[in-house]
Amino acid sequence: MATDRNLPTDPATGAELAPREQPGYYPGFSTLKQKRYWDAATRKVVEERVSREKPIRFFTPEEAATMLAVVDRVLPQEDRTEERRIAILPDIDERLYKNKLDGYRFEDMPPDQEAYRIAARAFEEMAQKLHGRAFHELSVREQEEILRSIHQAKPQAAQHLWKKMNIERFWTMLVTDVVSVYYAHPWAWDEIGFGGPAYPRGYMRLEEGEPEPWEVEEQRYAWEAPADSITDVEEPHAGLRDHMTHPGQAGTH
Amino acid sequence: MQQIKIPRKRFKDSDVLDYAIVGVGSAGGVLLQRLARAGFKVVGFEAGPFWDTERDWVSDENGSHKLYWNDLRITGGEHPLALGANNSGKGVGGGSVHWAAFTPRFHPSDFEVYTRDGVGADWPITYEEIEPYYELLEQEIPVAGPAWYPWGKPHGHPYGPHPMGGVGDALIAGCTKLGIPVCAGGPVAILSASHGDRPHCIYRGFCIQGCKVGAKASTLVTHVPDALKNGAEIRDCCMVARISMGKDGRTDGIVYFDDEGKEHFQRARAVIVCGYALESPRLLLNSACPGHERGLANSSGTLGKYLMAQAGNVILGRFENLVRMYKAPPAHALTEEFYETDPKRDFARGFAVQTVGPLPIAFAKQMMNAKGVWGWGMRRAMMDYNHWASFGLLGEILPWEDNRIELADGREGRHDARDRFGLPVAQVTFGLKDNDKKLIEFGRKKVEEIMWAAGAAEVVQESRYAHLVGACRMSKTPDGGVCDKFGRTWDVANLFVMDGSVMPTQGSANPGLTIQSLAARTADYLITQGETVFTSGERDMTEPPCRKSLAPPGTFTRGAPHLR
Repeated sequence: MATDRNLPTDPATGAELAPREQPGYYPGFSTLKQKRYWDAATRKVVEERVSREKPIRFFTPEEAATMLAVVDRVLPQEDRTEERRIAILPDIDERLYKNKLDGYRFEDMPPDQEAYRIAARAFEEMAQKLHGRAFHELSVREQEEILRSIHQAKPQAAQHLWKKMNIERFWTMLVTDVVSVYYAHPWAWDEIGFGGPAYPRGYMRLEEGEPEPWEVEEQRYAWEAPADSITDVEEPHAGLRDHMTHPGQAGTH
Repeated sequence: MQQIKIPRKRFKDSDVLDYAIVGVGSAGGVLLQRLARAGFKVVGFEAGPFWDTERDWVSDENGSHKLYWNDLRITGGEHPLALGANNSGKGVGGGSVHWAAFTPRFHPSDFEVYTRDGVGADWPITYEEIEPYYELLEQEIPVAGPAWYPWGKPHGHPYGPHPMGGVGDALIAGCTKLGIPVCAGGPVAILSASHGDRPHCIYRGFCIQGCKVGAKASTLVTHVPDALKNGAEIRDCCMVARISMGKDGRTDGIVYFDDEGKEHFQRARAVIVCGYALESPRLLLNSACPGHERGLANSSGTLGKYLMAQAGNVILGRFENLVRMYKAPPAHALTEEFYETDPKRDFARGFAVQTVGPLPIAFAKQMMNAKGVWGWGMRRAMMDYNHWASFGLLGEILPWEDNRIELADGREGRHDARDRFGLPVAQVTFGLKDNDKKLIEFGRKKVEEIMWAAGAAEVVQESRYAHLVGACRMSKTPDGGVCDKFGRTWDVANLFVMDGSVMPTQGSANPGLTIQSLAARTADYLITQGETVFTSGERDMTEPPCRKSLAPPGTFTRGAPHLR
């Protein structure tokens, strides 16, 4: 929307920061430039991830319109130039279309596919109820407030739909699915200074956060989230009661 | 990069095997190798694929989903466990493909927790009975670590300790500041120097995505090649659906589905179930038949019960300086100073503190859970990825009867969920009791204290669990468990269980080394018992001799530290 202030700002001046090809504190770093040092199987997987455009097959066109806007709020990318934004919804769509599960279902959750369809309906109903417009037509701020109410497990509307599942588990599944796509992409690795695939070369500077000769030093810059945004906060989500577990706990032990 | 020849040998369906091994993971791989070397006709049935590591594995977090048991299971209870990628493997090597490869031993106290502290259960074996196998497996995996490991019964390791990464440095700094003894460089099942045709570690930090180098041990590279050389067969992509019972009260083989979904019956004179803490009890339950209505080997009523996961909270600290924790194996330093029961604390047993090394996606999920960030908050937190270090708590949750795995068969109030073969899937129920909650609270606070002492500017934590054992526990008497101290089920003389599911308690040690050691000991037992396993119902309880001669070749070409 024209009146949205959706770009991050410079805290010193308050001026909006122009979108970059590569946000983050590692300017000039490119994992893809290292790909000749990767093994063939990994190179193939990562190259496909970057180049192949996946079709939308699970979500209906209406659901996709809603979910595209939802995903854009779960992980905003206005600080990226348009051609350097990472597509997220097609990968989630593919996981649901191909029934790629995580190996378990919580007994108080419907199957993932059903959960997403309920959620898409619910987001749409909330938009209509609260603002009389479609979700994707809302302002960024209006969209964020709807999502925040799910993060807090206190939906502002469409409670009858959200009741059909454990809303806290749905929220963690949604955020998990989104970050799993974004941070699998080489452009995201560059953004955060992650070295990327490392076989067969490995690493030699293991201590003190030293960069490899082909990595770059960190160059921090200060930035504020867009003026209209309410998501640059740390707010424990409602599912974080004592000892409660959540989807997607791979990758540590 | 190791080359493993795919087997050409193929027993016929009409052949009668000596041993059918269900699941070729940590335990199944060791048993397959030992029994093949001893001259038995043995086939390992593995639900997942026989990996070509160069072709199938990728140095990529997102691309490693296929290493885990991703088929449906239902999870519930007061504190439901997250399953799948957290703890269950699929494919030859099983969980040893994706483990972080910490390989501490259990402590002597672990085998008599009930006698000492009045909680949990005693094992039907002592530390002394498993000790020769700890020493043997540490040689044959081999394990790298410090020359002097001070906790439990002190011992050394055949391969030298690994260099530190940023997280290990933080753990050492924090522990040192607080006067807590800490250990660096292992014990891990990761080569610090080359061994046979396996190269040493290249410190790329993708251990949990499968080691393409071959430096991290999985039975795929440590035991399976020798098993195949000695005439074992592996049938991969074969899902064992049922253990068949003959008319004489003994098992006569297994029913399985091959890669195309076609059903087969393979005759065998004995069956060993090595499917880990969920699939082993699930198979025994799904094999219920006349005379065994509650599942095979369940006259005690304990099948599926006393399931345990360890507390696995992750404590994360943000540092002003860069850490870059994606380099080096996640597992490279730990302390077991809090392992044993401390009468000054208000709970029994204890915990370990270990390094972990989440890659970006895992770390993003931790930021979601530990800080509740999303939107611009998530983007901001992730841009600081290189400033974070993370420690894992590993806490001894006790065995409780109502922590269990059952069948999702729609009966008695259970869910109804089937896999693609129509078999009811596992339904897991889990909850914490008082001792567990107190232990976790104390442990979490202690690890946070260490992280602050290391110099972190910000400390957050994520509640979660790690590993999964129990549910087919071994016992001294038939009414107390599913199997005896060798894994022979009490009810069926030629049916064995040998994997993490046999553990009565779990300690605060990663279970992998103990699982492989128990498997090697059971193999020695079976070899000593010889033909009587196939013909007699007699239960000889004599400890077998520990056979170094059956270890894979090249095991004893290196010296061991002098530690007497």
